[in-house]
Amino acid sequence: MFILKPHSGVPIYKQLFEQISRMVAGGQLSPGTSLPSIRELALQHAINPMTVSKAYSMLEAEGILERHRGKPMTVAARPGASATPAARIQQLESHLDNLILAGRQLELDVDEVIAALRTQWEKDND
Amino acid sequence: MTEPFVVAQNLCKSFDDKLVLDDVSLELAPGDVVGVLGKNGAGKTTLLELILGFTPATSGEVKVFGHDSYRLPGTAKARIGFVPQQDELISQLTVTDQLRVSRSFYPDWDELLINHLLVDWEIEVTQRISKMSVGQRQKLSILQALGHRPDLLMLDEPVASLDPLARRSFLEQIIEMSAAGDRTVVLSSHIVSDIERLANKIWILKENRLYWGGDFDALKESIVRLHLRGRQALPDSLAIPNAISVRTSEAYATAVVHDWTETLGGEIVEMTGARLEVEALTLEDIFLELHR
Repeated sequence: MFILKPHSGVPIYKQLFEQISRMVAGGQLSPGTSLPSIRELALQHAINPMTVSKAYSMLEAEGILERHRGKPMTVAARPGASATPAARIQQLESHLDNLILAGRQLELDVDEVIAALRTQWEKDND
Repeated sequence: MTEPFVVAQNLCKSFDDKLVLDDVSLELAPGDVVGVLGKNGAGKTTLLELILGFTPATSGEVKVFGHDSYRLPGTAKARIGFVPQQDELISQLTVTDQLRVSRSFYPDWDELLINHLLVDWEIEVTQRISKMSVGQRQKLSILQALGHRPDLLMLDEPVASLDPLARRSFLEQIIEMSAAGDRTVVLSSHIVSDIERLANKIWILKENRLYWGGDFDALKESIVRLHLRGRQALPDSLAIPNAISVRTSEAYATAVVHDWTETLGGEIVEMTGARLEVEALTLEDIFLELHR
């Protein structure tokens, strides 16, 4: 369900937090959708349950997820303030930073990177 | 707050006059999964042995479940499981007999779990231990330490000889153990990828001292690599605050720093006039950078 990369400089809780917020903002996870339990998700990805719980708690604090006693967490009815395009773009920031870093290391200019992004984007849509 | 399972204060250990652990203080809470990293000879095994009470501290102290670890009462010992680097299985016995011996020490032996793992890990119970491969012995050694459902499980290089399937199943056991939040696992391993998945705390031993003894996420957020691009050549001896290492090549420099903050970044930009980018490091990168 999620793509987590334990061998990454980005803490796993952060990867999970960002992915779920993006999927909620983009409508892939609609209000009311249940999320896997902490134990399920930890076992599925072979990661520490506390890591999952940390991400879920942060998402709850942001108003993106809702906690229910004895039941799975769900996507909140009106998830946070992350629905505006500006807020969604903000969630791209760390990825853009990585792309910019790689682009500069490869001595590409911004137009070349944008062109490559566009090609890749369209290829992925096929 | 729940009581920590393990509290070490200013722990030192020497063998003859050789200092092996120097002034180590740390805490271990229920639910923690700790990854222990260090070069060979950095003191990992000694640290585990001090916590287990196999050897007395030269100075300082370590308390386990509130007791001095070297004088641990039997009731506290029964709450600990240990997988040593060299297994302590009895070669002449069959698997069944070996497990019967282990079970006889513990009233709360989890037969169901053991039978499940025997099947899952494809351990032939009628087999004599002397005939088993290193990997099979390692599985049995881990299984034995899980049987009494310890509150504190300590593993010293437990997975080096396990195949990927057995390793994943082992990781799942650790996750099951920690999911309820009331048990603790300490895992010393050179297999960084397992630690990256499982650990919420990291202990890095470096030159016989504890370089890092806390939160894993905080470690990743603390130690980062900076890429600096100047408008002209940067000085060879670039003085970067908090630097662990700096490399300069004309207008471009990289620096690995500790205790990274945005404020520190601001200072560095002001000092160097360079454009700054921050790269997050994997646990392996961090470990290598600390040992350059």
